[in-house]
Amino acid sequence: MSGPRNAEDRLRRLLVMLPWLMEVGEVPLADVARRFELTEQQVQRDLELVAMCGLPPFVDEMVDVFIDEGMVFVGVPRLFTRPLRLTAPEAFSLLTSARIAMELPGADPDGPLGRGLAKITAVLAGAGVDPADGSPDHVADDHTAGVAVDLDRPLLTDEIVDAAGRGDELRIVYYSPSSNETTERSIVPRHVFADAGNWYVLADDDRSAERRTFRIDRVESVAPTGRTVALDPDVRAPDAFFVDADVPRVVLRLASAATWVLDQYPIDERRVLDNDWIEVRLPVVSERWLAKLLIRLGPDAELVDASTANPALPMAQAMLDRYGH
Amino acid sequence: MVDRIERLTNLLALLLETPEPLSLVQIASELRGQYPENDRARRAAFERDKSGLRQIGVPIETEVIGGGPYAGQTRYRIDRAAYELDDLHLAPDEVRALQVAVATARTGAGREAIWKLGGELTAERPPVSAVIPDRPELPAIRSAVAGRAIIEFSYRGELRRLDPWGLLLRGGFWYVTGHDHGRGERRTFRVDRIDPDADGGDAVSVGAPAAFVRPASFDPRTAFPSDPKQIGHAATDSVEALVRIDAVRAPAIERELGTDRVRERRDDGSILVTVPAGNLPAFRSWILGLLDHAVVEEPPELRVHLVDWLRAIVGAGSVNGART
Repeated sequence: MSGPRNAEDRLRRLLVMLPWLMEVGEVPLADVARRFELTEQQVQRDLELVAMCGLPPFVDEMVDVFIDEGMVFVGVPRLFTRPLRLTAPEAFSLLTSARIAMELPGADPDGPLGRGLAKITAVLAGAGVDPADGSPDHVADDHTAGVAVDLDRPLLTDEIVDAAGRGDELRIVYYSPSSNETTERSIVPRHVFADAGNWYVLADDDRSAERRTFRIDRVESVAPTGRTVALDPDVRAPDAFFVDADVPRVVLRLASAATWVLDQYPIDERRVLDNDWIEVRLPVVSERWLAKLLIRLGPDAELVDASTANPALPMAQAMLDRYGH
Repeated sequence: MVDRIERLTNLLALLLETPEPLSLVQIASELRGQYPENDRARRAAFERDKSGLRQIGVPIETEVIGGGPYAGQTRYRIDRAAYELDDLHLAPDEVRALQVAVATARTGAGREAIWKLGGELTAERPPVSAVIPDRPELPAIRSAVAGRAIIEFSYRGELRRLDPWGLLLRGGFWYVTGHDHGRGERRTFRVDRIDPDADGGDAVSVGAPAAFVRPASFDPRTAFPSDPKQIGHAATDSVEALVRIDAVRAPAIERELGTDRVRERRDDGSILVTVPAGNLPAFRSWILGLLDHAVVEEPPELRVHLVDWLRAIVGAGSVNGART
């Protein structure tokens, strides 16, 4: 659970543990360890260490810790009864997580999350601005405390989230751009998540008999089948999309205008060339996908090496045909 | 020698409790036996402790004596008001809701924040979540927005000085908007495009707080064009294209654009839609992404542009083909 811990990490943990222990008065050692993600030995050792801290005349009460038969009793001096202020990364992470949660389907601005978010926003809004010398203009006025989130979602998302919450099976029509096919399949949605501007549903898919990820903006219609299955409590969003090592690769050269490709897709290798173009090696999901990428990039990309013929050429010709050329 | 965590705790307690700032000599004398006797070793050990405390967020204040026998000497203390978390008056159900929010995002800093609020990490997971794109510059930029501090950073090789008005997550990317001092006008930057610091330090430097006043009307959620095809262009820029979408893509495109953009429906299932095309590269990328399922009907100059683009691809391909 924890590797070697340096003195700073131990003190950081103690400074959140002590105010909480003070609050609860007495608590099983095992609970303290579980709550703060430490072993019982680590909790005991660190509490016994701070028990020796404190020094007269500045500190007249010592940190008073007493562990007996697996129970922790703590009387903390007024020194460490309040936790430290949120650091910049903590404030950012808390605000952003809460603001994102407020954007998810089903969030209620008047519910506990909305109220909690309003309270932390009020405290974090003017952080660093001294009210004594700042005019009211200096204090945040948009109720965001500096972070706004906009997770626009496809219309069908809410319906799919509801199904995931109940274990309802859905019949969907799904467009797959890599095969350029529309398929009909039954899925049991397990988890819905937003990543990099798109919404996905992780679902048990009857066509492949696997748990698969579908992009919700490619779902053309949904209809409940009437079947409901048990919820899976262990399901969670995948940590990262990974690309199979067996997928074929191509080498592309990209001009500076095309470097968004580096943000968007997994890249195996990259190197900067003499003319400031970047050469990348990347996995190819399908020929159609590669054709689309090359057509969008146009003069800003060159296909250097591929196991197959350039699929952008017949596609570009097919598109020209539609313009009557 | 005592365990370092003990010395750190004692130093923290001493600096919190002292009514007057203390010099290193005074600190070492109060914490007798805990710092080395040798001057240089003592200074090195103290500097390490000071940066260790700052690293976990302890605000240590320093002051340098101006005159008298101790002129030039540095003294230290911690302001309790700046150290302690304000009481947020969070109800238990509010803490629980924040816990679930943070559990969804799964960040280390969020976990520390929840502990400070008196909560614990929860195994409870809502059926829906979102991945937060993480950038090291974001916490400093957010603090600067909230504290009205000017920030400086390099963007595509150019130094920018910005009054940051707001930070927005949209479409999977973080944007910061504000008044650009060099350009004398409002500008929006993508945070992940900020150049890294050449020396490996912080890419964004933050000035003193309360350095600017934000326009009262500014709202980050409306300051950005909601259609990404319009980013970088004025709202008055109203070039529109008329586009035919084949039946296979029609339902998804209608949902993306909204039904009010549909001009005509054909029996074969295809639709005719109007699409903003003021930002040509963004529009081009969007329509080319539909491959042979979409055709621009109007205006003619856009049709010419796309035909030229596609011909260049076919032409370059046959030249390459001739070479091999």
